[in-house]
Amino acid sequence: MAADMRLPNIRKLVSLSLSAGDRRDLVVPGDVITSDSGFMRGHGTYVDEEKLTASVAGEVQRVDKLICVRPLKTRFNGEVGDVVVGRITEVQQKRWKVETNSRLDSILLLSSVNLPGGELRRRSAEDELTMREYLLEGDLISAEVQSVFSDGALSLHTRSLKYGKLGQGVLVQISPSLIKRQKTHFHNLPCGASIILGNNGFVWLYPTPGQQDEEAGGFYTSLEPISLSDREVISRLRNCLLALSAHKVLVFDTSVLYCYESSLQHQVKDILKPEVMEEIVMLTQQKLIEQEG
Amino acid sequence: MATVQVSEAEKVYILHGIRDDLRVDGRGCEDYRHMEIETDVVSNTDGSAKVSLGHTAVLVGIKAEIGKPRPMAPNEGYLEFFVDCSANATPEFEGRGGEELGKELSNTLYKVFNNKHSVDLKKLCISKGEHCWVLYVDVLLLQCDGNLYDAMSVAIKAALFSTKIPKVHISNDEEGGKEIELSDDPFDCMRLDVENVPCIVTLCKVGHRHVVDATLQEKACSVASLIISVTHKGTVTCVRKMGGGSLDPESIFEMTETGKRVGKALHVPLMKLLQQEESLGTRQKVGFLG
Amino acid sequence: MSSFRCFVLCGNMAGLELLSDQGYRLDGRKASELRKVQARMGVFAQADGSAYLEQGNTKALAVVYGPHEMRGSRSRTLHDRAVINCQYSMATFSMSERKRRPHGDRKSTEMSLHLKQTFEAAVMTQLYPRSQIDIYVKILQSDGGNYSVCVNAATLAVIDAGIPMLDYVCASTVGFVDETPLADLCYAEESGGVSSLALALLPRGGQIALLQMDARLHQDNLEALMDAAMTACKGVSKVLDQVVRQHLQEASLATGD
Repeated sequence: MAADMRLPNIRKLVSLSLSAGDRRDLVVPGDVITSDSGFMRGHGTYVDEEKLTASVAGEVQRVDKLICVRPLKTRFNGEVGDVVVGRITEVQQKRWKVETNSRLDSILLLSSVNLPGGELRRRSAEDELTMREYLLEGDLISAEVQSVFSDGALSLHTRSLKYGKLGQGVLVQISPSLIKRQKTHFHNLPCGASIILGNNGFVWLYPTPGQQDEEAGGFYTSLEPISLSDREVISRLRNCLLALSAHKVLVFDTSVLYCYESSLQHQVKDILKPEVMEEIVMLTQQKLIEQEG
Repeated sequence: MATVQVSEAEKVYILHGIRDDLRVDGRGCEDYRHMEIETDVVSNTDGSAKVSLGHTAVLVGIKAEIGKPRPMAPNEGYLEFFVDCSANATPEFEGRGGEELGKELSNTLYKVFNNKHSVDLKKLCISKGEHCWVLYVDVLLLQCDGNLYDAMSVAIKAALFSTKIPKVHISNDEEGGKEIELSDDPFDCMRLDVENVPCIVTLCKVGHRHVVDATLQEKACSVASLIISVTHKGTVTCVRKMGGGSLDPESIFEMTETGKRVGKALHVPLMKLLQQEESLGTRQKVGFLG
Repeated sequence: MSSFRCFVLCGNMAGLELLSDQGYRLDGRKASELRKVQARMGVFAQADGSAYLEQGNTKALAVVYGPHEMRGSRSRTLHDRAVINCQYSMATFSMSERKRRPHGDRKSTEMSLHLKQTFEAAVMTQLYPRSQIDIYVKILQSDGGNYSVCVNAATLAVIDAGIPMLDYVCASTVGFVDETPLADLCYAEESGGVSSLALALLPRGGQIALLQMDARLHQDNLEALMDAAMTACKGVSKVLDQVVRQHLQEASLATGD
């Protein structure tokens, strides 16, 4: 039995150093970004009296003529091709509703999933009746954004063997803006577990599967007990992810792995203590800088 | 109750983990999450405390008011409990959504804390049968991440510890009536002895084992739970079974034993912390700015 | 002139002199001086956005959930913009006298409505059709100017949630005594019979999001009072601006980009 009780710490105020205090790329709502009319208005901006103005607090990003402001924390703003992890909230006729941390529930059409049997076949009325056999309320899935509806809701698909229903593992929810965009969001980490970094901030940790059972079409989940050593790795990764997110460090395979390595001298349950979090995040950042430089 | 959805496979994962004494966040079955406690955070009260346990956060404010003793106990004061499940904790509690849970929680707290074995109620009496102190213990639920009872009981104990009730002077006026005068001096006050105030330990039965300080996900896998209030000596003062499922007598016995052990151990760091904070004197409060 | 005499009478009845001959107020502030504002963004991890703000002895917590799918009755869904849903409540221990209910009384319902109106004017709801944004504010300790403190706290929470707004919304409660406007009233002044005015402002454009006054005041004095309120709001906006920028930098230092 262990109970760790303490007084809250007084927050250390980061003094606004001159170099940082003058950063032009950090804006708050109402800040004018530019009055040059040659730019295009992206997310997080609006035009007021011909001036491009920020509507959220965050960092300005320019891509050619397009100006966006990326807030520190926000709901998921999905784009076609994004990998997401989501939870089924409702089974409707011919479609599932999926919670993906977006501003509206996402939709998975019956016609956008691979049904067992493999090949693309017509969805029959019988399939509609047995939808619950594939995916139930509460089930987790990994999927890809297929298209975006006019009201902003996302339409998902799982038509690839890497997508589908998720089995045993742990879900960690962090802010979508902390997920770094990469070529692949599926990683088998060398520490002995696998990770799906959903663009929507839902991260799925699971034991690295032996060989893929291709016949099941992604709807079969093993309920066999997982070994204790695998569990420990997954729990450690989970706590590391929370530590990274608490300190707003970008999450991608390398940062997760460095954080995991930095945490090894601590017990898994101690990682979430504030001073340990701070220490391992600092070590992680050092390693990241070393690797870059 | 704020509820979370958990898929079947996740449940199996959590269940097997608890069987192996390694929970999802790395804790063993009898480990608590990180807890932060601070007293005297709201100045309009006579005593207050803020407790956070994992992501669960509660704020307790105690106000002492003069009232009339209950007819059954003319020489005792009493405590009143109110739990505000505010919409801040989860949108489910908006409007009247939190009322039912609030009533359930406050009734249990009343049963656990309002008796002479927990608090010296006689000390709250001002004049027999006429006036007594009524302590209004108001619990405000700010964030909900499982294990509300334990967090609330710790917060209540801490708030009772910090409660300062002004001293009263009773004088007889000419017509034979009594006049109550409150002391203006903030240091001329009465403190409560919180030694016997119990802490609540909630044990959740998950699979064949039980865990303390369950998260919402673990709670979703549990069929039933047992709340046990334990004093610093390890005396059990109240046991209640919560939740829809059933427990067999044997496991209730086991859980009570665990509860006793864990509850007893909970008091030591808590009292140490409260005294430490007191000895620091008027340091700058962190409150919500921390 | 009649209204002027009226509040002098009230002030005298309460036995308090709200503005001394030297020009100091009950708590020692000058007429246009604001109370100390301290705030923090991102207090809670579970909500989409949260903030804590104290202005003198008035303390408030604001939490934002959303934008998310409509909850409960779908009939309230708007097809061209998001619904803003506010709830104002007070902790039962927030005032010197204990409150029996945290919300649901007439004053809280009115306050919720005012908050809703204020934020509908500032949040760019048209970006989120068919969604809902919840703003919940809780007064933990009340010492006057509750509406303003709530608005200021909620502004920070909305920014923390990354929801687009035209500008900050800043609010202040001002009063009028001895021909002098007083900025940022405290409870003693509010209850001392001052004719008070609450104003929410989008400071950069000078747009007014909410204006409320239920006391008597001579028309000639209204302009002076409004000016004082706008100045006070701009003062508040400077403090909020610092809080947000500090928060941004702390976070972006960590991200390292």
